[in-house]
Amino acid sequence: MSQKILIVDDEAHIRMLIEQTLEELEDEGVEFFTAENGEMALEVIGEEKPDLIFLDVMMPKLNGMEVCRRVKQEMGLTDIYIVLLTAKGQESDRQKGLDVGADVYMTKPFDPELLLEKAREVLELP
Amino acid sequence: MTKVSIKALFGRNEPLRPWLDDWCVQNQASLCITDASDRTVYGSKEFQDFKYAIPIDFENAKLAVVYGSNEVIHQVVGVLTMLISKEGEKRKLGSEVLYLYQELNIIYSFAENLGEAISLEAIAEITLSHSTNSIPANAGAIVFLDEYQRKLSVPAMSGEKLIDAHILENNFSLLLRIGLNGQSAIITDITELKERGLIAENVMSIIYATLKGKDRVLGAIILVGTHTDQFTAAHLKLLVTLALQSSSSMESALLFEKNIREIKMREEAMLRINEVIKKFVPNEFISSLGKENITDVKLGDQIEKIVTVLFTDIRDFTTLSERMSPEENFRFVSSFNEVLGPIIRRHQGFINQYLGDSIMAIFPNQPEDALLAAIEMQRAVRQLNQIRIQNGELPIHAGIGMHTGSLIMGITGDEHRLDAATISDTVNTAARIESLTKYYKSPLLLSEVTFKRIPNPSKFVFRRLGKVLLKGKNNILSVVECMNGMEDDFAAIRKQSMSDFDMAMELYQQGHFEHSIQFFSKVVASDETDHTVQVFFEKAKKYLAEGPPKNWNGAEEMIYK
Repeated sequence: MSQKILIVDDEAHIRMLIEQTLEELEDEGVEFFTAENGEMALEVIGEEKPDLIFLDVMMPKLNGMEVCRRVKQEMGLTDIYIVLLTAKGQESDRQKGLDVGADVYMTKPFDPELLLEKAREVLELP
Repeated sequence: MTKVSIKALFGRNEPLRPWLDDWCVQNQASLCITDASDRTVYGSKEFQDFKYAIPIDFENAKLAVVYGSNEVIHQVVGVLTMLISKEGEKRKLGSEVLYLYQELNIIYSFAENLGEAISLEAIAEITLSHSTNSIPANAGAIVFLDEYQRKLSVPAMSGEKLIDAHILENNFSLLLRIGLNGQSAIITDITELKERGLIAENVMSIIYATLKGKDRVLGAIILVGTHTDQFTAAHLKLLVTLALQSSSSMESALLFEKNIREIKMREEAMLRINEVIKKFVPNEFISSLGKENITDVKLGDQIEKIVTVLFTDIRDFTTLSERMSPEENFRFVSSFNEVLGPIIRRHQGFINQYLGDSIMAIFPNQPEDALLAAIEMQRAVRQLNQIRIQNGELPIHAGIGMHTGSLIMGITGDEHRLDAATISDTVNTAARIESLTKYYKSPLLLSEVTFKRIPNPSKFVFRRLGKVLLKGKNNILSVVECMNGMEDDFAAIRKQSMSDFDMAMELYQQGHFEHSIQFFSKVVASDETDHTVQVFFEKAKKYLAEGPPKNWNGAEEMIYK
């Protein structure tokens, strides 16, 4: 079964950037899914059970924190690795994110190399 | 090359799959699409005997194959080809945007790191590490340019050993010629640099960006690679951006360093000035005014205090100095003062003024401090004399006088020229007592006021020399001689003859000159070096023969100052 990555961000260009960054993983059989808000994200998560989610914090409808809380606590999908993404200068959210169950926290503008490295690490790809 | 995958067209939210489903129904056709690796992405080709198999290429590579039972699948191929080309454009754009985003990220984190660096060296290190991280180079260096000294320095180097920092530093003009004149470029002709040994033989590419200050070149970032055409125009653009950011940080650092340097210099100058001032105006003077620093002192600051004022000067200095050149004279006085200064300070006194061969010192605490200092000073002069006699020079004699009273220390002058001054009658009186040492031929005299404040007079050998009426003064002053500064033998002899001396003085002051002469002569006989008693002895004889001055009350009227 192929591994799945879900990219959640309300900004299309960020979704595209993350997808582009992780492009090479396609060759290794990784499937990509995108969602542009929290509600859509929960829908995809329910159906596809992704292995890794890159989740933006600030989004209309259901923000990233809430999505993370529901996935980890209500849906009990604790195995899903969640990377919270937020703008620089909002580092005070870090603890809040970790409190709702996020596995790691990254700031935007993100370093593409670090993002790819993280994905490979989580999916255990060489 | 742009990578496009057919699978992407069948993503979750893509309209292709429902469209194909509809298309199959409407055209009563079945079809199957496989990707580049023959994996099925739509439909199923098993159990079907497809008549048509049409490959779709993108940028000369097989991307997908469309299998169909019917010729109409050409419609599907047409749509797919169009979608793939759109996807290709999207991907191409995406990779360009990603590159820009990476650049943005580099510049962002570079700015963040630069913000934490203050020194030029730290900025150079950060600049180089960010440059080599974002541009694939085999080695790199930062050079700083000192335009005024026409010198180069290399504060940061990294990577393989491809650049020789030492040769780089010594090839100012060469670097200037190849472009350290404010430009940024990819250098194509690197043979001369190799010949001069600046770079290793295997270097094939060089890219550099100038670090530009407001109106001058600060230096450059230089990166080298071992492949031809290793650097692209995009690299150059990025390097120029990094250089721009780095330069402005360097400018601030330079300004900061300059300010720090200036502040330090000013502080040092202030310290030096203070050190010098301390020597002219004693610290004790400043602190007695309740000030910490000479700069805090202002016109009119003053304090009144009971102090003991001590005057000392070299006896017969005029005669001595006539035999010396001005320079010898100066050196003589200096050496004398160099001996006495430390003694005064050791006894909590400070020198208020040097007046040629004489010193005025103030002892703000105990009068005994002044007396002990005076005794030690006399001993020091005796030691000095032993050396002088050995050198065939005449011995010197110093007279010391002191008086205790209130003194106003303050700052006088006007706003342009301030002077530390002591204004008091105490100073005048002390000076006169010092001059009495000549009259009485005694080296150490103190006023009775000082004498009475010595807590344990029996520790010393004193002789009361009676009363004097100083010229221009109405009050009579009692003068006391201290003999502890003399050689011990003489002091002992005088101590023995003390009762005779006291008796003689008593009779003398009462006007019983004949009687006093008998006692004085006994003292004179005991010590022929006692010139002081001889003064009284002669006076008594004179008054006996000529009669005493009018209104004789025992006080000697001093007719000179």
